[in-house]
Amino acid sequence: MSGIVAETGIPVAGQETIAPPRALRLLRPLQLSGPFVIALLVGAVVLFASGRDAIGTYWLLAQQSLGGTTQIANTLVAATPVLLTGLATAVAFRSGIFNVGVEGSLYVGAFAAAWAGFTLKGLAGPLLIVVAVLLAAAAGALWALVPGVLRARWRVDEVVTTLMLNYVAILLTSWLVNYYFLAPDIANSMSPMIAKQARLGSLLPPSQLSIAFLVALLVTGLYAYFFSRTRIGYELRMTGLNPRFARAVGINLAGAVLIAFAISGFLGGVAGGFQILGVNYRFIDHFSPGYGFTGIAVALLGRGHPIGIVLAALFFGALSSGGAMIQLFSDIPLDLINILQGTVMIFAVIELSRLPFVKQWLRHA
Amino acid sequence: MPDAILSVLAAAAPSTTSILLASMGGLINRQGGIVNIGLEPMMLVGAFTAVIVSAQTGNPFLGLLAATASGALLGLLFSWSITRLGANEIVAGLGLNLLVIGFFGYLLPTVFKIEGTLLPAGLVGLPKLRIPLVEQIPGVGPIVSGHDVVTYLSWLSVPLVSLFLYRTPLGIQLRATGANEEAARAAGVPTLRLRDFSTVIAGAFAGLAGAQLSLGVVTLFNKTMTGGRGFIALAAFYFGDARPGLTALGAVIFGVFEAAGFRLGSSGIPSQLVQMLPYLVVVISLTLVAVRRELRLRERGRAAAASLRAAVVR
Repeated sequence: MSGIVAETGIPVAGQETIAPPRALRLLRPLQLSGPFVIALLVGAVVLFASGRDAIGTYWLLAQQSLGGTTQIANTLVAATPVLLTGLATAVAFRSGIFNVGVEGSLYVGAFAAAWAGFTLKGLAGPLLIVVAVLLAAAAGALWALVPGVLRARWRVDEVVTTLMLNYVAILLTSWLVNYYFLAPDIANSMSPMIAKQARLGSLLPPSQLSIAFLVALLVTGLYAYFFSRTRIGYELRMTGLNPRFARAVGINLAGAVLIAFAISGFLGGVAGGFQILGVNYRFIDHFSPGYGFTGIAVALLGRGHPIGIVLAALFFGALSSGGAMIQLFSDIPLDLINILQGTVMIFAVIELSRLPFVKQWLRHA
Repeated sequence: MPDAILSVLAAAAPSTTSILLASMGGLINRQGGIVNIGLEPMMLVGAFTAVIVSAQTGNPFLGLLAATASGALLGLLFSWSITRLGANEIVAGLGLNLLVIGFFGYLLPTVFKIEGTLLPAGLVGLPKLRIPLVEQIPGVGPIVSGHDVVTYLSWLSVPLVSLFLYRTPLGIQLRATGANEEAARAAGVPTLRLRDFSTVIAGAFAGLAGAQLSLGVVTLFNKTMTGGRGFIALAAFYFGDARPGLTALGAVIFGVFEAAGFRLGSSGIPSQLVQMLPYLVVVISLTLVAVRRELRLRERGRAAAASLRAAVVR
């Protein structure tokens, strides 16, 4: 097994070559930065082939995501949901659970938060916000517990069930909003607005940077603490690394599976809830551009490490906030971001050391 | 009432084709040990290639060939990332979905200067084949006759895939690879090459399925035209436990749902609930298979305990 997998239980590409130690030292930064570099190269080729200025586009992308206070704030806003879904995914991966269903938890969580926001209008601001976020978290956790119970009780392989339940959640919320909770003043696909006092205030107008980002950072700290300092976190980590050993030392495997699923879904639900309270202010049919799926990329690229996860989330946040602006200022479609993200995902799980030319290079190093 | 059923079936035939073909490809891949969630992007690439080649050459059959080849090529690249470069098949598959959808979303407005539908000049769709005599049989005629050639190929693919998997040495080696790769390799089976082969076949089938959408069902391309059919195909072979006959039944059921869904859209059943079915079917099928396996294991465990007790008492 590779070193990285052994440390984190994240199913990413490792370094299984029998390379000399010197080459391994070269390989680690390559494996960490490789996916980003390759994705940017692929994007550059696509831009160039379609007659666009690749360097200029990337420069504009950098400016529009990092070139000023408002731009940075927008990047942080865009990073918030994927930081939370990245943590949600990483909790599961490190516990040996391949949960690719965070998108589903995000949807049901978002719907629950929106429902609280436009239904419980009598509650005072802070209370309503807390209730909405907790409802979102509970909904997300319950949603994740469906495949969780199937896995814990009957050993139903969670990879495919969690993937499928994403689409069920998207369609379920779409049905609910279109048939039962349609905004009276709007023709389609949107719930009523949440109460004014349920909105998260901006820390830095005109951006929508809110307390949600700070909470996401706090959750990152809790994630680090949980896995390194708590007993349950340790047990989950052991379950992820070696289930047979975990059972031999008395860890309840079914219980660990359920806890991992519940925490993962909880965080996914929070991500969805914050997106409603802080950005959209209502539930919109099919609102997520794949925050849950981006979370998988974030968890993989961050190698399950809290700092790595934050950096990866910031990268994707910058891509999507910068990409949205690029679409406004030039004729380059936002889809470029999907190309970059898809490439990053593929190369995050590819063992770069097994690519022929890298193998050559390692041999000479 | 029977008339209504017959007309739904007639409409279901072309809407089943792409699901059936892709599910046969995915099934071969699954039997070879790879869960292919990249069927959807492979279909999309096939649909696009078919339109471009048909428009350039004026020959839709060349479009079919090119679509099959493009799907196979994408399948090969996808397979290499998994078998040779150690990628996780689910993450790589999700990445491929994003990449291909992003690619067409980028390509259409920048290179072809269009927002929605690509309809290049000179594009020729597939002709509908009318089977003499059969087409005149009342009721059955419209179900069997009057479809494009890919539809008939898709029907033919079911027995062929079955023959291949269960009656040819290659197919049996492929199933051995999927069942236990290490044992198969120890027995001298070239497992890596077989897994690549199964993914290439899956890509070819998916590419052809995509071509049927863009040259058979309609004659155009847009980036949402596969509409989740790659995932419905996945549902079909999970429903069929990766066996050709049952999988085909699943594909037909989903095809009928789709054909009926268009009609039910007006009669009040929410389309979201109809669309949800394939995904739920996957979850339920997986659960049933797992429950059956667990019950059998527990039964065996109890029997072993009982015989042990008997031995000790004696």
